[in-house]
Formats: sequence, structure tokens, C-alpha cells
Amino acid sequence: MSEKILKVKNKDTVGTVNELLREFLKSNKVKALLVMQEVPSKKISFPVLISDPEQLNSNVFAPVLPVSTATIISKITKVNSASKPIGVVMRSCQIRALVELVKLNQANIDNIVIIGIDCLGTFPVNTYSDFPEKVTPTDYILESYNKKNDEVKYHRSSCQICKDPIPNNADIVIGLYGMNSQKELMIQINTEKGKKLLEGFSLEDLKDKRNREKAVKETREKKTKNRMEFIKNKSNIKGIDALAKFFDKCINCHNCMKICPICYCRECLFESSVFDLEVNKYIGKAEKKGLFKMPNDSLLFHTTRMNHMVVSCVGCGLCEQACPHDIPLMEIIIPISENAQKEFDYTPGSDIKEKMPMVIYKEDEYQEVGEK
Amino acid sequence: MVIKMEEFEPKIVGFLCNWCSYAGADLAGTSRIQYPPNVRIIKVMCSGSVDSVYIMRALLEGADGVFIGGCHPGDCHYIDGNYKARRRAVLLKSILETIGLEKERIWIRWVSASEGQKFADTMKEMTEEIKKLGPNPIAKYWNI
Repeated sequence: MSEKILKVKNKDTVGTVNELLREFLKSNKVKALLVMQEVPSKKISFPVLISDPEQLNSNVFAPVLPVSTATIISKITKVNSASKPIGVVMRSCQIRALVELVKLNQANIDNIVIIGIDCLGTFPVNTYSDFPEKVTPTDYILESYNKKNDEVKYHRSSCQICKDPIPNNADIVIGLYGMNSQKELMIQINTEKGKKLLEGFSLEDLKDKRNREKAVKETREKKTKNRMEFIKNKSNIKGIDALAKFFDKCINCHNCMKICPICYCRECLFESSVFDLEVNKYIGKAEKKGLFKMPNDSLLFHTTRMNHMVVSCVGCGLCEQACPHDIPLMEIIIPISENAQKEFDYTPGSDIKEKMPMVIYKEDEYQEVGEK
Repeated sequence: MVIKMEEFEPKIVGFLCNWCSYAGADLAGTSRIQYPPNVRIIKVMCSGSVDSVYIMRALLEGADGVFIGGCHPGDCHYIDGNYKARRRAVLLKSILETIGLEKERIWIRWVSASEGQKFADTMKEMTEEIKKLGPNPIAKYWNI
């Protein structure tokens, strides 16, 4: 692991990163780059797969996450791994999700070079596209970072309580925390792949690492504190009454499942007709209960989804963002995932070699469960 | 008019594995061991094949208890299905605890093919415990 300095030209942080990314393409280190770039309407930034360096004009620090980049990597490497290296610029939550997908045999990162960026948090899609301030959202978030104003009011709730905004498991990291983003950025080289990517670039070594290390530590501590506070305050959805109320507005659209990077099943059980009954069965059920809401099974869907994904939940908050009726899903998913992950002493996305809790077991564990 | 209060008879859904627990229940029957008729048995190939969706569905449809019966640890016909079922039960119980649903309604026990008496005893014990818990409150919810 080594740290280098990327000098920022003309206080243009995004432009400097773009220049670096263009060099990666020009020097053929990567054949294509998957990176956030603004769509022509400038309303939003999307992951874009770019091979032409001239057309690369990315918006890497755009504070928006419309879709999961990890899901995209999983989708494009479903059949086989890339024959030529592809670079992907990812936020920490997406790298965590990708690690989980690799463990689930749903993604192949053999020829994927992960370029992690320090995340300053993201805004809801609609806030981003109709941004109420005079500056662009990207400028806004970089400015508030420079001013050390870290209480950004537009953050999504999941970003306020992010597990870790600094990427782990990336081949290289483009670092903001602890750096003066108008002067210099940190480039951290973590792996052989990363070393290869930066071969031929003359970058100075980062000599004084103290600022960076301090900022990373502080950021992590602050986020953990926020997270713990959130869990403490929000763990009040208890009992069937509260649950029914919480999911009142759910229309069974399954958007939360479709957008979730961890929900990888090609066909979800709930999209199939497994739980569709024949009409007389419905009538029978109505007669038995007197009445019931249609479409039914929304709580069954949510509790089952929790059972299937919380152990690997990376806290990206896409489920909440995708909900058409703004059900604050984080308030229930975060406490559940925290408790479940603690139960199995598992941190999703931290170690690619670590086995997932649901595929391993010990013969002498949890004996009280089987015999009271 | 005197209304006779009927005693609460819990409905228990039992998922029994083909190789041990189901055979254990069979033995209890053929040996004419008496046990409460509250359990509705569903035969599955392995306790490890019982996904949480079936447990949750039983619970949300109003079953008062869910019983999962598997082979004793080390005896699984598929080598490690019951160990995996055990981990899944731990996860399910952790989730139920966080969202405040009654995890006590879910039982997982090991009953071998020769343990007809143990099966009957377990059913007695579970029926008693569920009677103490009372009817599943979820049963009356029509809006979930």
C-alpha cells in the first residue's frame, strides 16, 4: 500500500480527476471506464461505460446514486469475465456490495479495476435533479467539504449513517478526506492491479500522512456515532401494530428488491406465481378472516426480503430511495441488519475471502436453539 | 344464556424432515403414543429446505406456532442441512426480536426416527407453551 499526491490544477477538482481518468484510457491501461457522468439534460448523473477518452467528462463526485454500480458489474460479468481490463469508479457502499456479490458468485472481478472514491454522501435523485441552491450539487458538496461544513442538509438518511464512506477493497482510492480538495487529492495504491494502472504516472509520494489518517479516523468515528444514534432512536418499530402501520403505503411494487444490490435472484419468489391463489381460495380466505387487503402479502414480502438480505446489507439506502411512496425503509432495515450482522460477527464487504454466515456453520454452535 | 368459553386450542404448523422427525412422528402414531392434535404436519425433505418465507407465511397467516423438526446434529441425511437450518433459525429469531414479533412461537428441535416418545413429548410441551402465549395476535390483522 502506498500513497501518492495528485496535484489539482486551477482548483478544478473534478477536472483533474477527469484528466487522470482520460490518461487511463489513452494509455490503454483500461479498455473502458464505468463512471458517473451527467446525461445531456444535466438533470442527473448515471454510470456510463466510456471507451473514448475525448468523450469522458465524468462527474465523479456527483452526490447522487440513482442505481447500484455493483449490480451493473454483476450484470455485465454474468457470463464471463472481461477479456480486457475495465475500470470502475465506485463509492464505498457499492464496493461493499460488489464484494458481497463476488462471494455470492454473482460477479466476476478478474479484469475489473476498482477505483474507489471517498464519498461525501449523496442526495435523493429528485433533490439532485431539481437542486434548490444556486450552484450545482457537485460544487455544493465540494464547497461544503472545503468549508468543513459536514452537516449537509440534503443528504439521504443512509448517507448520514453510512457504515464507512472511505473505500476498502479498492485497487486504488482517490482520496478527499484529510486533503485540501482545491490543491491536492490523495491516490492510494492498494493492490497489484492498482500498481499496474498507475505505472508510468509520475506522482509524488504523500509524505505527511497524519492529516489523512486523522480525517479518516474522525470521519469513521462520526459516522459510527450517527449510525448508533439512529439505531437507538429508530428501534421503535416493534410489534405487529407498528409494522402494519409502517408498511401501510406499500403497493407491492417490489422496487426495493429490484434496486437492491444484494437481492440478486434472477426471479424473485414474490415475482413468481407461487403465492397467487385460485379465486375460490381467496374467497375462502376472505370468509375465514372476514376481510383482507389486496394485494396481500406485503409484510410477508418485506420480512422474507429481510431474512434473505440483511446479513449482507451494506446500507446503501437504494431501497428507500426507490420506494415510490417514501416508506423510510432505513428505519427498519438498519437496526435489523446491525443486530443480525452482530449475531454472526460479520461485516459485509470487508473481506472478500471471508465466508458468508449463511453458508457456513460450526457443529457446536447455537446448541440452545435446537434444544431450547 | 350461558356462553361456554372454549379453551384456546393453538394451531401449530410443523415442518418435519423426511428422514428423522417425520419418521419419529410416524413412530409416535404407530406406537399409539398420545399427543395433542394441534400440530399440522408438513413433510419436507430436510429441515434445511425450510426457507424463512414458509415460516413467516404461517406466522403471518395466523398460525399460533411453527415447529421445525430435523435430524440430530451430525445425523442429517444431507450431511449438514440441519446445521444450516439452525443458523437460519438464529437469523430469523434475531430479525423477529428486532421488529418485536414473538420469536417464542418458532421452535426448532431435533427428533430422530426412533424417538416417537420424544416427538410426542415435544408436541405436548410446545402446545402447553403456546397456550400460555395465547392466540397469535397477527391472525386478526387483515391489512398486512
